[in-house]
Amino acid sequence: MQGILFPRGVVEGRENLQAYRARGGYEALAQALKGFSPGQILQEIADSGLRGRGGAGFPTGKKWAFTAESTETPHYMVLNGGEDEPGSKKDRLLMENLPHLVLEGLILASYAVKASKAYLYINAIYEEATRSMSDALAEAKAAGYWGEKINAGGDFSLEILLSPAPANYVAGEDTAALEVIEGKQPLPRQKPPFPATAGLFGKPTAVNNVETLANVAPIIAHGAKWYRSFGTAESPGTMIFSMNEEVHRPGVYELPFGTPLRYLIEDCGGGVKSGNRIKAIQPGGPSSAYLPGEKIDIPLDHNSVRQAGSAIGCGVVHPITTESCIVEETLRIAEFFSVESCGQCPACRMETNMLAAMLKKVQQGQGGQPILDQFAKVIAFNKGKGFCNLVNMPGPPIESALRLFRADFDSHLANGRCPQG
Amino acid sequence: MKELQQRVKDQGIDDLEVRPYLCFGACQEGPNVVLYPEKSWYAGVKKGDLDDIMGHLAGGPNVTRLDTIDGSLKELIYQLLDTGVF
Repeated sequence: MQGILFPRGVVEGRENLQAYRARGGYEALAQALKGFSPGQILQEIADSGLRGRGGAGFPTGKKWAFTAESTETPHYMVLNGGEDEPGSKKDRLLMENLPHLVLEGLILASYAVKASKAYLYINAIYEEATRSMSDALAEAKAAGYWGEKINAGGDFSLEILLSPAPANYVAGEDTAALEVIEGKQPLPRQKPPFPATAGLFGKPTAVNNVETLANVAPIIAHGAKWYRSFGTAESPGTMIFSMNEEVHRPGVYELPFGTPLRYLIEDCGGGVKSGNRIKAIQPGGPSSAYLPGEKIDIPLDHNSVRQAGSAIGCGVVHPITTESCIVEETLRIAEFFSVESCGQCPACRMETNMLAAMLKKVQQGQGGQPILDQFAKVIAFNKGKGFCNLVNMPGPPIESALRLFRADFDSHLANGRCPQG
Repeated sequence: MKELQQRVKDQGIDDLEVRPYLCFGACQEGPNVVLYPEKSWYAGVKKGDLDDIMGHLAGGPNVTRLDTIDGSLKELIYQLLDTGVF
């Protein structure tokens, strides 16, 4: 299947500058710097309907406009490659294999938001991705794609620096990334103000996920209308979905938004390894609500997945078959968020620790109905009470698990073990 | 906490255990002392407050100046403790 990012929809090894140029790479940047204003580039991105791929799906054009229109200077651009979501490897693969596609997007984005300095914030354990991006930076600098006075008018200069990201979940949060680049601990900031207007060193800063920026050059090269020929009206383009060891062919798959979930799991992933019936699907990583297995034919786009009761997140799709216990699955998720909570917000610390402890008790068969009644109360009490969104993350999987798979919880409470034994 | 544990021991109160607990979400107002099952919650406790807390444990009045935690948080935590598994 034709992709927008991966030319044939699949990963095919690292693409160097020569290979990237041979398929039209950096032509979008050359055109932009020769004949288009930053405002025109921004408008094209807004018209394309590109939405952030880091999880929230916020319209990229709107985000950039806040930064571009700010009269505060200088402006900054940050590539957020702090990916640490369990099961997600799309950003790492993009940086490893298509570094120039990512870099061209970053330079175009910097031009659009009038940034004079950009940072490549990359998870420190991604050694190959860091090397690949570092090599691409050097190649692109030598070719004159970034540096001093690179546009036709001679008024656009861009400096690009690497900044390693600590390998933990919260460090991938946009404002935690800014803290790290400023030399501080990876702790999210209170918002507002948002980074778009008061980010790095208090200045306007556009922070974008790697996959988001990888979409920019193709949009500028082919136009917003072309981009909208992929996907759906409210979710244009493609998205990279990650599938892990539960399917025969784990990997990343770039598919147009709106592709049926079944196609991803069965045609791309080759179906679930166990061969058992799929009883639940988490379509958007550990913070997304479970869907019942019968929803396998829903289209993979923001609206459809939301209407089905979940979220597409960063595209980590996790099918769960009948031999698995949802209590065990949910406990693993709760423990993950408990460990990854940075601890600076009391509500988040309390909630994530408490939910994990409560699920542990349920797993051990303790607490009965009274403890099940407390989950919704703990989640509701703490909702939104934190500097970042982590406090809201354990809620959807836990509440959907209780609603959809009550038999698994009842089995643990009655017998101290899973229904499957 | 060690000071409180020692005082309880010194006074021979044998139906009371003083121990650290799960995070109750009020660390910014700590140190916190929660008396359960009586359901009294004292926040911002200092060593100088221990005489009054010990007095309360001995049947004296509530230490109202330390009773500053939001009622809804107290209710949530008491309900969790009432499940009997923590």
